[in-house]
Amino acid sequence: MIGILKGMATTMKHALDGSTFTVEYPDVPPEVSPRFRGVHKFSQERCIWCRQCENVCPNDTIQIVTDDQRNGEQYNLHIGQCIYCRLCEEVCPVDAILLTQNFEFTADTKDEFAYNKEQLKSVPWYKDIDPLASREPDRGAWIGEGEGEVDYQ
Amino acid sequence: MSLEAPEPATQADVGVTDDGLDYDTLEALLGDVVIDRETHLNAEAFVVQPDRVVDALSVLKNKAGFDHLSCVTAQEYEDRYESIYHLKKFDDPTQEVSVVVPTSVHDPTSQSAESVFRTADWHEREAYDLVGIEYDDHPDLRRILLPETWQGHPLRLDADQEQPQVVPLREHANPLQEDHPGGSDTMFLNIGPHHPATHGVLHLKTTLNGEQVADVESDIGYLHRCEEQMCQQGTYRHQIMPYPDRWDYISAGMLNEWAYARTAEDLADIEVPEYAQVIRTMSAELCRIASHLLALGTFALDIYGDFTAIFMYSIRDREVVQDILEDLTGQRLMFNYFRLGGVAWDLPEPREQFFEKTRDFLDELPSRLEEYHNLVTGNEVLQMRSVDTGVIEPEVAKNYGCTGPVARGSGIDYDLRRDDPYGYYEELDWDVVTEDGCDNFSRLLVRLREVEESGKIIDQCLNLLEEWPEDERTIQSNVPRTIKPDPDTEIYRAVEGAKGELGIYIRSDGTDKPGRFKIRSPCFSNLQSLPEMAEGEFIPDLIAALGSLDIVLGEVDR
Amino acid sequence: MTISETLAGALGLGAVNPLEDFVLSLVGAALVGTFILLNTAVAGPWAKRKITAAFTDRIAVNRIGPFGLLIIVADAVRMLSKELVIPDGVDRPAFDLAPLVLVASALLGFAVIPMGNGIQLADPTVGLAFLFAVASIASVALVMAGYASNNKYSMLGGLRAVAQNVAYEIPLVVTAMSVVLFTGTLQTSEIVAAQAEPLLQLGALSIPSWYAFVNPFAFVLFLAANMAEVGRNPFDTPEAPTEIVAGFQTEYSSVYFVLAYLGEFIHIFLGGAILATVFLGGPAGPVLPGFVWFTIKIWAFFLFTQWCRSAIPRVRVDQVIEIGWKGMLVLSFANLLLTAVIVGVIV
Repeated sequence: MIGILKGMATTMKHALDGSTFTVEYPDVPPEVSPRFRGVHKFSQERCIWCRQCENVCPNDTIQIVTDDQRNGEQYNLHIGQCIYCRLCEEVCPVDAILLTQNFEFTADTKDEFAYNKEQLKSVPWYKDIDPLASREPDRGAWIGEGEGEVDYQ
Repeated sequence: MSLEAPEPATQADVGVTDDGLDYDTLEALLGDVVIDRETHLNAEAFVVQPDRVVDALSVLKNKAGFDHLSCVTAQEYEDRYESIYHLKKFDDPTQEVSVVVPTSVHDPTSQSAESVFRTADWHEREAYDLVGIEYDDHPDLRRILLPETWQGHPLRLDADQEQPQVVPLREHANPLQEDHPGGSDTMFLNIGPHHPATHGVLHLKTTLNGEQVADVESDIGYLHRCEEQMCQQGTYRHQIMPYPDRWDYISAGMLNEWAYARTAEDLADIEVPEYAQVIRTMSAELCRIASHLLALGTFALDIYGDFTAIFMYSIRDREVVQDILEDLTGQRLMFNYFRLGGVAWDLPEPREQFFEKTRDFLDELPSRLEEYHNLVTGNEVLQMRSVDTGVIEPEVAKNYGCTGPVARGSGIDYDLRRDDPYGYYEELDWDVVTEDGCDNFSRLLVRLREVEESGKIIDQCLNLLEEWPEDERTIQSNVPRTIKPDPDTEIYRAVEGAKGELGIYIRSDGTDKPGRFKIRSPCFSNLQSLPEMAEGEFIPDLIAALGSLDIVLGEVDR
Repeated sequence: MTISETLAGALGLGAVNPLEDFVLSLVGAALVGTFILLNTAVAGPWAKRKITAAFTDRIAVNRIGPFGLLIIVADAVRMLSKELVIPDGVDRPAFDLAPLVLVASALLGFAVIPMGNGIQLADPTVGLAFLFAVASIASVALVMAGYASNNKYSMLGGLRAVAQNVAYEIPLVVTAMSVVLFTGTLQTSEIVAAQAEPLLQLGALSIPSWYAFVNPFAFVLFLAANMAEVGRNPFDTPEAPTEIVAGFQTEYSSVYFVLAYLGEFIHIFLGGAILATVFLGGPAGPVLPGFVWFTIKIWAFFLFTQWCRSAIPRVRVDQVIEIGWKGMLVLSFANLLLTAVIVGVIV
């Protein structure tokens, strides 16, 4: 009987102290770590079309089309298929890929999740967090990019 | 089922020398059963005729003390099929031996090991299902992971993915077979695949006698995602590591990654810097805490009903752990944090903040655990419900290959972190938790106490990391971009996952991708013991036993 | 005083003839029914969300309306607009009737409850017996639902419900009998009146002779049996969502689900009303009007059931029966005998 009463006292204590731990999403956006791996972002200026990201991707999310001079023509990413492993960012020799903090995006069909390089460039940052701070410091070129029109909400 | 009486200890020491096992003595013990010997990286393997499997295994089990059939791997070569029985000792899992059973390509039939090790039942069914090796005298050789209407065996070399693989049940049905046994006064009840208490898509075919469980059979495979095959198609260096996170996806990702990291590092002979080992140890234990907290919460759901506060409290505490892990790895569940030869990232800057956050959690932990003890273990009604229900005796548990908290709840003192040390565990001060109750309550208690021990480990790791000299913080050793182990190198390695012994067998074929990748899932073996716990009990006890097993269907079905 | 007399007084009618009495009673019944439904169907589900959330450190409904109160409207629209799925092979009349019987039996019980300020629909001399008789019709509804649904989980739930109700009905009634020994009447208004006298005088504070104070042991017994009777933790085995999905109501959807769910709620409140009437002085209480006190008391019982839900495990079905027959029954008879002896000696 003591055990039962102890248990009931514990829950009552929680009821009375009034603290909650759930958040009112989306009114209150959750805190996201600087290292968080969200939607993929791509920089055409930096990319040297070495195709390492395409090779390392574990489930063929990245598709690159080059012409016979090995100049890049297309960079497509099926974000609906991405498992956010960050291997592409890791192998990229010129830091042309960055996984942003943005995790909020919806679409009506799966096809809408196939992004081309323009769409990838304008992936917005999440809540002004600068993921670069948590990565290596030499990626300053990223700042400022990505206030474009793709809105995932 | 065979439950031999435990042999005297003297006999269990055959071949044991100061510096490991003397395989020649073992071979002599086996006598003419052995036709050849192979060397795997983890242990020697004896090649045995397909019709002498029971002889070989029972000698090894009863005379040499190899009482743990950890895993059965089946694979096809160009010229033969092979079943490998990975044997260990519960007393000392570093003492390993494998039994290799080759069978011909035309008639892949070998003797079943089920009469020696009960756990071989499901393992051999899986081998039959995926590779297509037939096992003579197997009590119930049916498909286990794939639907019964599946055509062919997908891990065969000649498996043609273009062919239709599943036929409708109608075409598959045997018109002569009676579909209802009938004539008995029991009731058949499908629990699952969608049921509030199956923790995923598990189907329990239950036969009830009133409210009592007369028979229960697990039907698994609803979440089979070809994880083994996916790993076989990924490169060692990068592409496999994201997948272990998805086996036991209940925030135990780091523990799973370690299983792959350990196996692949031993296979390719990669050194891991000490600093990375400490980080690995710390993050793995954080995962264990998160995983055990969820196990506690869902067990409470099963026993208390869906309005219990315990579930939310444990989720709240788990949330703190997940925040820490997110800071460290960048993800909340699918960490992909380990790399061959180290980890992906050093601790996040500013380090002080990370230490403080983790310390705060550890400082809170005792009072939280106190709360759980007040709410759960101290509750008389819970004790009434869980003490002496779902009992599994240690000998039975060993026979079923139970590991992890399930085995330790039955008093089996077996923990790979201590018995087969890896990482930084050896240097740290912590204890293996065991309980002797063998019941649902003991398993619950083991988990709660393990959270405490994990807290101790993390605290020591934090101290180490804090004092680590700044210029020696190497997080990754120098690993070549492409790893190509020598062809036909075989290795089986296991780590202590959240649910038990998580083992991986890899055979290399000379390329940068594994030739065969086999996962020994602890949940798979643990779930197999459910009938032992539940038969004769009431439905609520069946549910409680299932909850106390703490299975994750992603890991059972892979 | 019944509600028709109260209404007649309020309207300034003198002596009422049978026809006027009938009409006034109907009006009264409508008022009481509305009040009960307001509590159970409107406030209940909202309060339940809020209370459960408080116990589990969550926020709970707060989007629609002030404090999320309008969630009830959303709920109603959602529930009523869902498809009513009637599975193959159900036993039609029984399947349809069960939710109705469940609600009706619970509502009927409120007819003899004195709610204070002269609000009582009927005051028969066998009030208490009527109350228990009507409340236990619910078990019939549960069996009907369980059996007619043509579902094994429902069947198990129905069987559990009956086994449990039979096991706990007897201790419940026998414990209530011990109160009747004090009052010497089954009339609910008399039982309430008997509790008005002061038991103890501590300075200015007068403790009334509520039977919860007079015989706390009987009160605890009654409370426990009542929890089993309304099927809440630790005795919610008939539903037991993690074991038998939803027990007897597994196959009910849409409106039928609403009715079954509502029936459960009304039963909890009826349980609270019985408890208040028999042990807590009915509508009695200081300062506030009796009617308010009565409402507070039934809500207190509701809160208590939710509190138990948050912290007490479900007892296994065989243990439920064992506690009922081996524990509660014996204790309740012991209580009855003891009370009889004491009452005999004192009076």
